[in-house]
Amino acid sequence: MLALSGCAGSSLGDDEGGAAEGPVNVGLMIPLSGPYKAIGEDLAKGWELYLSTHDGKFGGRKVNTIQIDEVDGRAAALNGAKKLVEKDNVVAIVGGVTADTTESVKQYVTEKKVPFVGTGGRPSTLTDLSYLWHASWLSVEPGRSVADYIRTTVNGPVYAIGPDYQGGYDNVNGFVEAFKAGGGQLANKDGKPKWTPWPATNNYLPFLNEIQATGAKAVFTFYAGTPAIEFVKQYKEAGLQGKIPLYASGFLTEGPVLQAQGPAADGVRSALNYASNLDNPANREFAMAYQKQHNNAPDVYNVTAWDSALILDRAIGAAGKNATAEKVNAEIGKLGAISSPRGDWRFGQNHSPIQPWYLREVQFDGRARANVLVQNLATLGS
Amino acid sequence: MDQLTTYAVTSLDGVAFGLLLFTVGAGLALIFGVMDIMNLAHGTLYLVGAYVAATLSGGGLLALGVALAVGLAVGAGGGAALSFVLRPLGREGSHLDEALVTLGIAFIAADGMTAAFGAAPMQTHVPTALEGSISLGIHAYPVYRLVFIGVAALVAVLLHVAVRRSTPGKMLRATISDPDMAAASGIDTGRVRTAALAVGGALAVGAGVLGAPLLGPGPGVDNTVLVLSLIVVVVGGAGSIPGTLLAALLVGQVQTIGVVTAPALAPFALFGAMLIVLVLRGRTTAVVAGRPA
Repeated sequence: MLALSGCAGSSLGDDEGGAAEGPVNVGLMIPLSGPYKAIGEDLAKGWELYLSTHDGKFGGRKVNTIQIDEVDGRAAALNGAKKLVEKDNVVAIVGGVTADTTESVKQYVTEKKVPFVGTGGRPSTLTDLSYLWHASWLSVEPGRSVADYIRTTVNGPVYAIGPDYQGGYDNVNGFVEAFKAGGGQLANKDGKPKWTPWPATNNYLPFLNEIQATGAKAVFTFYAGTPAIEFVKQYKEAGLQGKIPLYASGFLTEGPVLQAQGPAADGVRSALNYASNLDNPANREFAMAYQKQHNNAPDVYNVTAWDSALILDRAIGAAGKNATAEKVNAEIGKLGAISSPRGDWRFGQNHSPIQPWYLREVQFDGRARANVLVQNLATLGS
Repeated sequence: MDQLTTYAVTSLDGVAFGLLLFTVGAGLALIFGVMDIMNLAHGTLYLVGAYVAATLSGGGLLALGVALAVGLAVGAGGGAALSFVLRPLGREGSHLDEALVTLGIAFIAADGMTAAFGAAPMQTHVPTALEGSISLGIHAYPVYRLVFIGVAALVAVLLHVAVRRSTPGKMLRATISDPDMAAASGIDTGRVRTAALAVGGALAVGAGVLGAPLLGPGPGVDNTVLVLSLIVVVVGGAGSIPGTLLAALLVGQVQTIGVVTAPALAPFALFGAMLIVLVLRGRTTAVVAGRPA
């Protein structure tokens, strides 16, 4: 179980004098600047919480975390990966908020035989998965997991809307395809989801007015970051909150955006692979430790980074004394069930999680606003 | 009928957004169009205002008033400070030099604000009295935006009258059309220049305070505002208040009605509209641009 040490010791430096095995270097590649910085901070918090509650060690060896700024996942990510591998000699690289990061580093890490454990979106373009793992999710899964629930709960057509880029298509189409396959009907005039210009507009009132005119009985959407804040606030301003139920891919109300959305988010129902009040032993300890350190409820980004640390802790331990990147990679493949705050999950053939999904609702308990578990949805992944 | 109401409400929202752009754009028109100073820190001033609103306004009209007063003071101070910083470049300072200095300031300020307020966008509170929506046919429209339309329209009228009729306005126009003659007739042109920058800055920060519920504070908002207000100033024929107003309203409609009717064209619509206006203006009148208000 977790050893909650008061002196959360830095993860950097400090060789353990006399230890049989020296420290091990791990790369943490997250956004320290740019549009995804807030998510990067949440990832770092989850990672640091794991280290501080595990004596700063993976598999009994002191961990040196080397942070790299992934920025937008393009050139900076590849250069960062090269630095981590060639200069720092890392046994694994963890991170990546955007799908672009995986895309940028995939060829390099595969050639160098260094495992990359992704903590964010995964591109659908990967062919050689040998060294690529994702501890996160597939972008089509949130919508897919909740489609049946919405079809059987909502009495009538549903309006689907999302941003006009790959992440938007994946999230919204994940819902639309499963929803239609079950016999559901879209309220959209042409029977296709509405794509809003991205990043050209953050003003959704015009689109929300249209939704009202279609007579939709519910709305399904996906937005992340600032657009998510604007969409939810304007949903209320357009008089739709409480009138047409709003369902979403969980990122709409997850993490930093929720506080900025404020009361406008109350009642939004969304699907994600985590809710901070999940009742399982791993989450009880994780959420309590997180709450204690940061004074607010953890989010899915904290959990994904925590799980990545957990994976490496076990894989490095199993790889033994002379753990090379290649050995660590092989051990990741043999982990089996991972006891995570989001519930037990394991890597499937796709090197991505086979995991349970949850329906949550934004509720305000008088002090804080959180995504509260409503019920379990399907287990997805392969 | 419903379809018509939908367009009407959407178009009304275009007016609200357009007037927001006008308030910021008028500040830039004053600084760039009238004073001929290339100010790329203009979006930064808006962002400062939005952060002031997020920090100070918390539910009451009084708090919003305080935020606005603080914002206007900060804006005027910021504008005057810009004038001071740019002084070594001389009155005929090249646009490139000015652009570099102000862009540098914008970068440093943006990073400073991210460090101070965090990378996540902040929530802005609308005063309780102005919360909620009124119903227009089948739709609802936020009360705050309606009030904003009224306030911004008032600003437009006051600004126009001030530049056309008041003594400071006349001194301003004199300084622009012939600085040497203005100086010879006893106008302190340096002070006029500083005053123009201060008013321009106050407009940008003031727009940020009042506009935060429409376009809230967060990293990157400064760039959005800068680009949009540059478009407004260029389309409006740099330097004319009525021109800036028309351009801002046009951009507002393109960003609302245009985006809904042709979402696929949205990324190009704004620049397309700008292109059409510039070509048409180039054909009809040769020397509208640069004419003082």
